Amino acid sequence: MSQQKNSEAKALGLLLLDVGVYLLSSGASCSRIRITMRRLASNYAYDAHISIAPKSISLTLNNDEDHALFNGMLTIPAQGVNFKTISGISRLSWFAVENNLSIRQVREELTKLLALPHYPRLVILFFVSLAGSGFCFTFGGNLLEMVITFGATFCGLLVRQEAIKAKFNPYICVYMGSFVASLFAGTFVIAGLNINFEHAFATSVLFLIPGVPLINFITDLIDGNILNGLVRGISALMFALAIALGLLTVMLIYNLK
Amino acid sequence: MDWITILSKAFWCGWGAIGFGILFNVPPRTLFPIWIGGAIGGLLKFALLQLTAGVVLASFAGALAIGISSIPIAHYRHAPPMIFAIPSVIPLIPGVFAYRTMLGLMKLTSDIGPDYNRILSETVNNGSKTLFIIMSLAMGVAIPMHIMRQESVKNIRLRKRNRS
Repeated sequence: MSQQKNSEAKALGLLLLDVGVYLLSSGASCSRIRITMRRLASNYAYDAHISIAPKSISLTLNNDEDHALFNGMLTIPAQGVNFKTISGISRLSWFAVENNLSIRQVREELTKLLALPHYPRLVILFFVSLAGSGFCFTFGGNLLEMVITFGATFCGLLVRQEAIKAKFNPYICVYMGSFVASLFAGTFVIAGLNINFEHAFATSVLFLIPGVPLINFITDLIDGNILNGLVRGISALMFALAIALGLLTVMLIYNLK
Repeated sequence: MDWITILSKAFWCGWGAIGFGILFNVPPRTLFPIWIGGAIGGLLKFALLQLTAGVVLASFAGALAIGISSIPIAHYRHAPPMIFAIPSVIPLIPGVFAYRTMLGLMKLTSDIGPDYNRILSETVNNGSKTLFIIMSLAMGVAIPMHIMRQESVKNIRLRKRNRS
């Protein structure tokens, strides 16, 4: 009996840690991670004690007599923002609670969910570039500037994706993206086209803004997860600096004022 | 800026939101609500700017509208509110102000000349606008999620129990 209980606790503990680290690396806020992990744990009559560090999660599972049956810690996988994972895990946790899924079934569903594909690369490139030209329009750009921003975003994102694939440091990936995008936009300014280079320049790098850390920074601070919030805030700041550095390099190259 | 321009800006804000949604790999069923969210935020922001509200207040109002509308949409489309709110709010990020701040900071490293004071005030002005707009965007999205969270979790439970 006790043996069986222990192996159940171990399976559940490992499952919860996986759920937690995938949520963390996909860009969920700390309170969402806690809520989801606790919801799943209480479904199997365990009490979960969770500590979320910036790059790892530790978990202790207690049974109803307050005996710790599982202790574990897991570091986050190398994976970027992925809202499909967050929404899928959130649905899965509700589904598991409602239908009393066994731990093994939840594990199978999780594996299926993590294997879900991203959007095709060309679709991502096209729509993000479209977003870039949209930003250009909202900042007052005209059609020519929108087209330039489209091209700049396309090249910048392409380079950034390749840099991520080559496993560069994430800040360096952003720097490369920013550099290439503004290099593209700057070429047209240098070529003497009659454009407001502020529109083309400032909006061609907007696809790199770290939106998820920026919002989670405040969300975590409000929840009292001060440490995690600060880590996300500083990470967002570093990304912003990398963007600025890319722009700066191009402005030095082209001698733009 | 006439109302046609405001509407078309809101339209493009929606596409900006979709672009970021795809970059963040949102589920396809959430794309249309994200477009709506982006367009509502943009509409409110540019309409308020037209009515001569400050840019910080206008951005906050846009973000708040997105944050509030993301909660019913989240129930409707079965996904956490942040999945709709974060991509939708990104078109409101003040790219031009951030860019001018950065440029100004670079100019401030040069020697002190006759227009140094002007550059200094402009940079501080742009920098504080950037900072406060970003803060208000995050607040506008985060606050409704926090106020509604308890209730919304219960709502989901109630609705599903009734159905089964």
